[in-house]
Amino acid sequence: MIDKVKKELEIRFPLLKLVREQHNYLHVKVGATSAMDAVLTAKTSLGFTTLQLISAVDWMENNAFQVTWILENYSEQEVLLISAYFPRKNCVVPSLSQIWPAASAFEREIYEMFGISFPGNPREGEDFLLEGWKDIPPMRRDFETEEYAMRTFGERQPREHIDPRQYIGDVVGEWNTPMGRNREEEK
Amino acid sequence: MYCNHPPEKPGDKKEVLQKITNMARANSLWVTGYGTGCGAIELRPLGTSRFDMERFGIAMRPTPRQADVLIISGYLSTKTLKRVIRVYEQIQDPKYIMALGSCTINGGMYFDSYNTLNVLDKYLPVDVYVMGCMPRPESIIDGFSLLMKKIKEGRATGWKHYKENLDYYRENQKQIIKNWDLPDYNW
Repeated sequence: MIDKVKKELEIRFPLLKLVREQHNYLHVKVGATSAMDAVLTAKTSLGFTTLQLISAVDWMENNAFQVTWILENYSEQEVLLISAYFPRKNCVVPSLSQIWPAASAFEREIYEMFGISFPGNPREGEDFLLEGWKDIPPMRRDFETEEYAMRTFGERQPREHIDPRQYIGDVVGEWNTPMGRNREEEK
Repeated sequence: MYCNHPPEKPGDKKEVLQKITNMARANSLWVTGYGTGCGAIELRPLGTSRFDMERFGIAMRPTPRQADVLIISGYLSTKTLKRVIRVYEQIQDPKYIMALGSCTINGGMYFDSYNTLNVLDKYLPVDVYVMGCMPRPESIIDGFSLLMKKIKEGRATGWKHYKENLDYYRENQKQIIKNWDLPDYNW
């Protein structure tokens, strides 16, 4: 069945790349401009009516965000992943919250974690996980997590180290030389 | 709806009375059913017949108004800290905090996370630490028996310390909770 989906998508959109294909699983990459069309066709004419997840990946080297929509056709038990690259600076991706209400939560999370804006989402910008966050979004790769944690939560106290030499003295020195080698030298 | 005056300092009872009340308090520790991190998983078996915490007089309560003990189970995110402060301040006066796991002591494996605090004792007064990642139910029972011992000896006075040094704790709390909108005195 997934062959049929693949053919349909290939006819309608110039697929950039076919990433992975199994009997019930297909991952395609499309251009940024035709991403919404691909998602909507998959919903209306190919039967992928469930939105499972929207996820984002920061490709800092390529100066792009990869946004992936994971759709499911429950009656056929098929999964379709449609992903597209969007430019990293002032990233804007169309919202799906009018079509799937569940998309609203995913989009709010991505907005908070990556700073990708989804115009059309009525609840965009509301606090989701990070309340009152003022730094750059924490899931961006140029955000320095450790430095931020040290700055806000204070440095972690190192464990008190106790050197056994202070207490047992020379005995440790004897332990450090391998006994076998000493015996060989004596011989 | 909120109290608008600083907390009153607890008066001292007669020594004999104190011993009797401490005895009674130690043998009926009621716990708020509020799990903050992964350690809440280890609290479930405590209630079952295998570990059976009711034989020590320890019971789970659905509301902080009926409870004495607040268990911070594992890592605590800044978003949860705000709710925990609300819960802690609603508990009636002799109240104790038990902290599970290494995350509450120095951040544990999440020490460089952008959203989990490292040292719990800066924000809320901890009476008993139970170490482990995560502690098994046996060690939590051990922690409870230590807490009982401390209460009987009159040494579990974290709640008095919190009242007396409220400014210090508030300052630390406001440092990491960016959108502070709680009233200053909320009990």
